[in-house]
Amino acid sequence: MITVTINGKEIKLEKAVTVLEAARSAGIKIPTLCWHEQLEKYGGCRLCLVEVEKMPRLQTACTLMVADGMIIRTETDTIAEVRRGVLEFLLINHPLDCPYCDKAGECELQDLVEKYGLTKGRFREQKRKVPEALEDPVLVRNMERCIVCTRCVRMCEGVQGASAISVINRGGHSHIEPFSGGRFDCEYCGNCVSVCPVGAIMSRLHRHSYRPWQLGSETKTVCPYCGVGCTVVVQVRDDIIKRVVPKLGTVVNNGLLCSRGRFGYEFVGNKERLTTPLIRKNGLLEPSTWEEAIRLIASRLSEIKDKHGSNAIAGIASPRCTNEDNYVFQKFMRVAVGTNNIDSTARTGFAGAQGFIENIFGQGATGNIISGLANSDAVFVIGGDPTTINPILGLQIRACSRRGGNILTVGHMKGLRYYTPLELRPSVNTEIALLEGIVSALMKKKGPPGSHPVLEARLKDLNAQEADLPRICGIQGKDFSRFIDTLAEAATPSFVIGKDMIQSKGGSYGLFLVSAINYIVNGRIYLLSERANEQGLLDMGCAPDLFPGYRPITYPEFRKRYENAWKTGLPDKPGLTIFEMMEAAKAGALKCIYVMGENPVFNLPHTKDVEAGLKNLSFLVVQDIFLTETAKMADVVLPALSWAEKDGTFTNMERRIQLVKKAVHREGMEDWKILSEISSNMGVRMNYSDAEEIFGEICRVSPLHRDLNYEEIEKGDAIYPYKGEPLRGSTDEIHIEKSAGREERGKLYLRVERPLFHSGTLSRKAPALVNICPEAVARISPATAAALSLKDGDIVRASSKTGALELPVAVDEAIDDSAVMLSNNFQGKGAFSLMEYEIDPVTKAPCLDSNQIILEKVNR
Amino acid sequence: MFRETAIKEIEAIREQYPTARAALLPAIYVAQREFGWLSPEAYESVSSVLGVPRATVRGVATFYAMYKHRPMGRHLVQLCTNVSCMILGAEKLVDFLKNRYGLEAGGMSSDGRFSLVIMECIGACGTAPAMLVNNDFYENLTEKYIEEILEKYR
Ligand code: SF4
Ligand code: SF4
Ligand code: SF4
Ligand code: FES
Repeated sequence: MITVTINGKEIKLEKAVTVLEAARSAGIKIPTLCWHEQLEKYGGCRLCLVEVEKMPRLQTACTLMVADGMIIRTETDTIAEVRRGVLEFLLINHPLDCPYCDKAGECELQDLVEKYGLTKGRFREQKRKVPEALEDPVLVRNMERCIVCTRCVRMCEGVQGASAISVINRGGHSHIEPFSGGRFDCEYCGNCVSVCPVGAIMSRLHRHSYRPWQLGSETKTVCPYCGVGCTVVVQVRDDIIKRVVPKLGTVVNNGLLCSRGRFGYEFVGNKERLTTPLIRKNGLLEPSTWEEAIRLIASRLSEIKDKHGSNAIAGIASPRCTNEDNYVFQKFMRVAVGTNNIDSTARTGFAGAQGFIENIFGQGATGNIISGLANSDAVFVIGGDPTTINPILGLQIRACSRRGGNILTVGHMKGLRYYTPLELRPSVNTEIALLEGIVSALMKKKGPPGSHPVLEARLKDLNAQEADLPRICGIQGKDFSRFIDTLAEAATPSFVIGKDMIQSKGGSYGLFLVSAINYIVNGRIYLLSERANEQGLLDMGCAPDLFPGYRPITYPEFRKRYENAWKTGLPDKPGLTIFEMMEAAKAGALKCIYVMGENPVFNLPHTKDVEAGLKNLSFLVVQDIFLTETAKMADVVLPALSWAEKDGTFTNMERRIQLVKKAVHREGMEDWKILSEISSNMGVRMNYSDAEEIFGEICRVSPLHRDLNYEEIEKGDAIYPYKGEPLRGSTDEIHIEKSAGREERGKLYLRVERPLFHSGTLSRKAPALVNICPEAVARISPATAAALSLKDGDIVRASSKTGALELPVAVDEAIDDSAVMLSNNFQGKGAFSLMEYEIDPVTKAPCLDSNQIILEKVNR
Repeated sequence: MFRETAIKEIEAIREQYPTARAALLPAIYVAQREFGWLSPEAYESVSSVLGVPRATVRGVATFYAMYKHRPMGRHLVQLCTNVSCMILGAEKLVDFLKNRYGLEAGGMSSDGRFSLVIMECIGACGTAPAMLVNNDFYENLTEKYIEEILEKYR
């Protein structure tokens, strides 16, 4: 126990902390500028100076550790004098342009000068002039205001891990610059903006249009973009979202955000939002009333149901909609329509992979706490760069490395390159062989753990052994041994699996092998998720084989339960997956698809096929916030409310349920509301008054969500397995289907780029994200560029079996020589339009890695 | 990017330091020699060989005034104009360099051959005026002597 006295108050401390922390714990405030709770200590600004008895000079409270018996004073005349002096120095060059600085009102310097400052400075010299830097699309740098506290640099380097900015020059000329001196060209997380105490680095989005004191309302909610589920605070003025900021102390993202979460909110107020229902008349989509549209849908659905049976209708749910929307959606499909034909784009990877892993390790196996990654001693990453797919999760991996953990990657992960990864980069389509090699090497080293006989039985006949790897995958024995040794020695390893792994040929076998590695070294698995409510949608039963509560429909006792709850008979056979729906539509067996908040024409591979299928339908309904590629083909389009305009819940990839709250008002109906109106028109009454009531029903009928409510979610207690019952116990059978892509050296393969700045087609409607990353580019390696005589910016024609696109190339050292990377975000330029697929027989996910692509230079 | 030999050189430098960051200053010297000055490409090359982020490399380099932060001539002329040199005519020599070679203080000759930096005392007061060309020292300068000296540096 350490006892110190601060301002006459005795404080007892369990362990040595800084004087600043000790003072704070006792409610004594010491002014600071360079200190920030998220950052490494710096001791640069000298504002926190305090008197310590028996120490000769004033000491910086933010760096001095307490010692037993210290007597400290934090507010004396001498200290006030010194702080005044420090501030006077800071103001020598500070422009004092508070009247038009966006920071005024929440500026730490302004507040301190107001408290301690002189009204007059003694320096008569000219202030330094640095023109405001406006070259960047989202960040403004005003270096006259910079007080060189280096908080932004410590944030960017030590927490975000991007190291995009640094202090340049020296003395009175030092200030902050990104490498280019102009544009930041960084990860655009904006976390430097959060920590800058003054108005030196600011967001451009609300420049000169919003002051902190003009805040109309502030709503704590969840980011609409990816499966991490970061807490965001939406700040609103005049019913327009002015700023989205993180909050210190929240569990998932503790004061941090990524570019999408911070700068991607402008889609909400986008002028292109749908405002009225549209009905196709004489081939054209014409505005109509809600009554007309709802009546039309209800009667057409009933008609098709009568004529062709319930299974001629299918529904596509949305990983961007809330649990409540999705629950009502599947209930509508199962009860009002009478079919299990319900699926979503989670089928492109997440759903099947999760099902597969849970079959081996039991339900909830992938629901691990994201911040736990930082405490692992090794993180194994495969199938995609987590720092772009789930950026805040990526930061935890970087933190793991900083704390001394090892990063092991299969394939090159650009965002981890400064974190000394042990990297195995197998040649094209040989990942499976590599994974087999890893399993057999680990089995030799560690032996079978013996707790999962079913899994171990499957490990008897591995094709590739360690000795084959140099030949098959081009991997050096030395690198491989280091990789294996590190993995074998890890006590708390984690496994991060991305979609590229799942979407490759033999993906389910690959998943099995990664699961086996995880089993041998006793790790835990994280499954990357690209959409905010991908997990929730599955938990709500938006799958052809699951009821709400993640219950298989084939178990009669669960079906009974839901039949009782919903007071109706339910179909007992699993419905169609999203890919089977497209097949059935093409074949004419499916007559109608109801799409809620999804854009299958763009978000499913083999665009032409999807279009052909949808064209063949007799009735297509799309409910969305924008007129997407799919909506343009619909017979009826219904405008929905966006994430910021409704209440509900999202379930993130850790399976944490969090509240989504209405931040701005808009005329219109929530997705669940629209569905219940249609359902009631079809004779199945649903009259929920709000989202909370729906959640109440979910908690009554779903065994997993039993006894939950909004209040508890708000408290932060809704972590898997909640208070409900997950299905425990693992399987007595693991279905694996061995196969692997064939390698053809010298050919180029198309790969889906999953960019940091975009997410599906939603981010296209957020101007800030488009400004950061405006167009689709084909990324190729320097070797490919050389072989094809291409340079950055050249226009190429990229063609595959299914189509061709013209777009610029970018040469990128991070790309494999066999790969062409293209995102699937930009209108008319999506990678999926060039891709065919085969379905993995086990996970039912599409295998996308065999698409060869040819690049030809276009001369203009 | 660097030539293979420069990469080897920097890797050897790296070996002598505990961390990559600690090896930055000498590595930046190599880059400066290779590229003539600290261009963006020079920084990026150091960054990729040492694995230190490029913004950090630039930040460190800009702290030091003696690196070449602008394109510089192939040869660096450093002429002293401090008291002794001034009394013995160094300022005339400054004019001479300007008229004869188009060299201004802080500038570069248009053919890219020389850059001129005015120095404060290089410790040659007894034999003033004096100058350095690259690392070579010259004293008792006259206009004619300067012409002769600079002939050697093409
Ligand atoms: S936005 Fe993020 S990545 Fe860019 S400079 Fe700021 S902290 Fe660094
Ligand atoms: S930009 Fe802001 S955070 Fe960065 S050093 Fe300057 S004042 Fe500090
Ligand atoms: S990591 Fe995901 S949830 Fe968090 S801010 Fe970024 S996009 Fe949003
Ligand atoms: S807060 Fe302690 S020195 Fe800046």
